[in-house]
Amino acid sequence: MKLLEYQGKELFEKYGIATPKAVLVRQSVQEVSLSVPLVLKSQVPFGDRKKKGGIVFVEDKASLASELKKLFEKPIDGALPKEVLIEEVASFSQELYLSFSYDTDSRSPVLAVSLQGGSGIDAAKLFPIDLTTGVSGQFFKESLERAGVSNPSVVKIAHSLWEVFEKEQALLAEINPLFVLQDGSCVAGDAKIILDDNVANPSHRPFLDLPGDIAILASGGGASLLNLDILMHYGGNPANYVEYSGNPPASVVEELTVKVLSRPGLKGCWVVGGTANFTDIYETLLGFVQGLRKVDPKPTYPIVIRRDGPRQKEAFAMLKEVAEKEGYDFHLYGPETPMSESGRILVELVSKG
Amino acid sequence: MSILVDENTKVLVQGITGKEGSRAAHEMLAYGTKVLAGVTPGKGGQTTEDGVPVFNSVKEAVAQFPEINTALIVVPPQFVGAAAAESIEADIPLIDILTEKVPVAQVATMIALARKHGVVLVGPSSVGIISPKKGKIGSIGSSELVHTIFSKGNIGVISKSGGMTAEVSRILTDADLGQSTVIGIGGDLLIGADFVDIARLFEKDEDTKAIVIFGEVGGTYEEQLAREMKSGSISKPVVALIAGQFSEKLPQDTVLGHAGAIVSKGRGSAASKIAALKEAGALIADTPEDIPGLVRKALQK
Repeated sequence: MKLLEYQGKELFEKYGIATPKAVLVRQSVQEVSLSVPLVLKSQVPFGDRKKKGGIVFVEDKASLASELKKLFEKPIDGALPKEVLIEEVASFSQELYLSFSYDTDSRSPVLAVSLQGGSGIDAAKLFPIDLTTGVSGQFFKESLERAGVSNPSVVKIAHSLWEVFEKEQALLAEINPLFVLQDGSCVAGDAKIILDDNVANPSHRPFLDLPGDIAILASGGGASLLNLDILMHYGGNPANYVEYSGNPPASVVEELTVKVLSRPGLKGCWVVGGTANFTDIYETLLGFVQGLRKVDPKPTYPIVIRRDGPRQKEAFAMLKEVAEKEGYDFHLYGPETPMSESGRILVELVSKG
Repeated sequence: MSILVDENTKVLVQGITGKEGSRAAHEMLAYGTKVLAGVTPGKGGQTTEDGVPVFNSVKEAVAQFPEINTALIVVPPQFVGAAAAESIEADIPLIDILTEKVPVAQVATMIALARKHGVVLVGPSSVGIISPKKGKIGSIGSSELVHTIFSKGNIGVISKSGGMTAEVSRILTDADLGQSTVIGIGGDLLIGADFVDIARLFEKDEDTKAIVIFGEVGGTYEEQLAREMKSGSISKPVVALIAGQFSEKLPQDTVLGHAGAIVSKGRGSAASKIAALKEAGALIADTPEDIPGLVRKALQK
């Protein structure tokens, strides 16, 4: 779970990391008690906000209200901000990059330091942390020195940032840029915090809207990714990404089906999964049918279902009956038809329209 | 031969009295694998329905059964770190973690500890390991399907996805390409044994002639395998199916089907993995059904 910048900065303040003087606004403001120049930052959970027009500098307060209005109306990666953070622009002598994250090369937490603030982790020097010995103040001091930083207040910030990372069970705690002011003190220019979903939000199910016209209900962490690739390989355009493995109850599948199929302009639907080990296929497809009945208008487009696993035969018998009695265009495939073949068939059915 | 699991595998199940733990133990026994003991704190002295004795701690279990050489961990996510520490400190040489959604901080700690003890840690989120006709650990190949999906042979399979271990193996079996060992390494951000660790074991295994991997967008485990192939330390042919190419245009940091499947630009993207593996000499499959043909092609070289 990715925090917004202002949420990250609230955490920073809690752990003793200074942030610029700021005001968070949720609508237009008449007046702010900050001194110009100011920077207005759209609070959306995406990177490269500056490039995407989500960060605006204001030299005089007269233009504040209009710039603010523009920012609230500007979608960034399709999302409008609910908040804008107004900050005083720091006058700094140096910008650094500082973060803690998990590195899949060393398979350990790493401290990443770069003398180029604004550049990402790719330009940074990495210092793996040995969790069996723990982390000492000496480690931060020596690592920063090796990266070319000897300022003791940066060492202190690194220590505090490690506390944020460790105590909040973050996957990433990043300050980019970290402003070093004339007097040597530090201020966090930005905050990027990603919390571990396994701790913060264990029931999280990924769901993404995509620009296509084929709805997908995919099972299996790996198979779901693969099947979207395969659909595109055959020229289909997915309308969403979702994954619902782990023997979900019918009610969960029902809700998901309604969500996925309520989108206008769909031309097909693919219910697909590999050979399930212990997912009750009957239960899953019962949930699908219950959801399908709630979708308005009633889907008349082709629905290709490729499932295999416990109670698959019972499930298909039920689906056949539902298709006959209620008039759905089901195309049912079991283990004899590969997942990818069922995807190809669906793309063909959709293109025939 | 095979790797990690065979007829001599003697298993301890941590969390054996839970629903998933007792099911896994039952199925391992049904496949002919010896499950000598189980651990559930507070339930020591009991015996499971399958007649497996339950102990309060790993220490007590290995005192009674010093021949235990494999631990399967099936405890709730928040207890996995402590459970793994127990079996690592008992120096059980192979530990397979079935539990999903284990906090990453715990995983990082147990990986560091396992390294110190020279213990092979597989998972978390590992569906298990099977050496067909010899033995299995975990919930890989549940039910009677185990006999139709997996068959004995010379192909080593390594997969980040549990479901795809079965899918890839079934496709290989249908094409008369049996498997030496099939391993679900899990799709978490941090994992114990990765593609390289397992490929090194296959490299030394006489019975493994080719390696099939299922990888995904996110992390650098596939890129690391490519690096080892290029350096020559992995010389057996590799066929790779890499999922997640569709995600290229999605916002960075988006987490997909597995916790480690994180949308990445450049390094870590599906395209980067495919390019690196291709350059290192791996054959790339576009669909699972392409795999048998590519394996045969690789074996002819």
